[in-house]
Amino acid sequence: MKALVWSVVVGASLCAFDAAHLKKALEEKECVGCDLRGADLRNVDFSGGDLSRSDLSGADLRKSVFVMCSIDDANLSRAKAEEAIFWKGSIERSDLRYLSARGANFKGTHLSHSDLRHADLRLTKGWKADFTEAKLDYTDFRDAELGDAKFVRTDLRRTKLKNALLWQTTFSEVVMSKAQCALAKKEEALLDGNVTCR
Amino acid sequence: MTVTGLWAGTIQNDEAFKAAVSSMGKTDKLVLMIYTADDCPECAYMKKKVFHDPKVEKYLRANYVIVEKNVHRDKLPDGYDYFGIPTMFFIDKNGHKTETIVGSKRAQPFLIELRRIRGMK
Repeated sequence: MKALVWSVVVGASLCAFDAAHLKKALEEKECVGCDLRGADLRNVDFSGGDLSRSDLSGADLRKSVFVMCSIDDANLSRAKAEEAIFWKGSIERSDLRYLSARGANFKGTHLSHSDLRHADLRLTKGWKADFTEAKLDYTDFRDAELGDAKFVRTDLRRTKLKNALLWQTTFSEVVMSKAQCALAKKEEALLDGNVTCR
Repeated sequence: MTVTGLWAGTIQNDEAFKAAVSSMGKTDKLVLMIYTADDCPECAYMKKKVFHDPKVEKYLRANYVIVEKNVHRDKLPDGYDYFGIPTMFFIDKNGHKTETIVGSKRAQPFLIELRRIRGMK
């Protein structure tokens, strides 16, 4: 009974978006600092829009398009974003913990200083994405394409990189496991002298 | 009046395509026309890495003629619009498009695609 009450409370809090904010976001593609928790935003085109500082935690963003959209300082934790397109967007300083984004497109996306711990980014396309000072513990990049992406000042030892494409990927001032370092070198990644392999 | 520079023409009239077909002689190859851009790491990956994988390169030499078009500098033939770079069009010598691939692929799956497309012709 206690568990049931708890799940109802948590479920309600995840879907507690502001209806006026949702209407504004859908109509104008701009909603700064909005409450969009748990909102159904599937298959929506937000290209060129601005959702910065908004709370999108638990929202359903599957197959939506965020081309060159600003989602800085936002909360996307536990959001669903499979096959969404964030091409050349900006998601800096944002909370993306437990984001589920398998197969999404992050080409040229700026993700610096964001928290991507436990995010599922398998099979994503992250060419030229910027992960400078991002938190990447348990982030799942398996089978992701990360060519020409940038990892700077971050600890990757708990990051899952199996079968990730790392051609010309830049690693600078990062800590990696020996296996990750071997993979990166095999993939012709660019490791500078400040990479620690241990 | 003909307005050159705006009308790109058909693939059959495309100079690069005609040169590719001419280079085939009597062989039965396909044209692989790849759309690229200067600031495109995926394009560079395909051109510098995948196309030069030993197995891929050998298969390409035997079965394809590659034509590259820079989408910012070259005239693009009518009917060959693109959504995403790189885009690879596979065209028979009569100018019929048989397949389109958008985005990059690793060498092994790309080779499988090349074989599949070659078999389709």
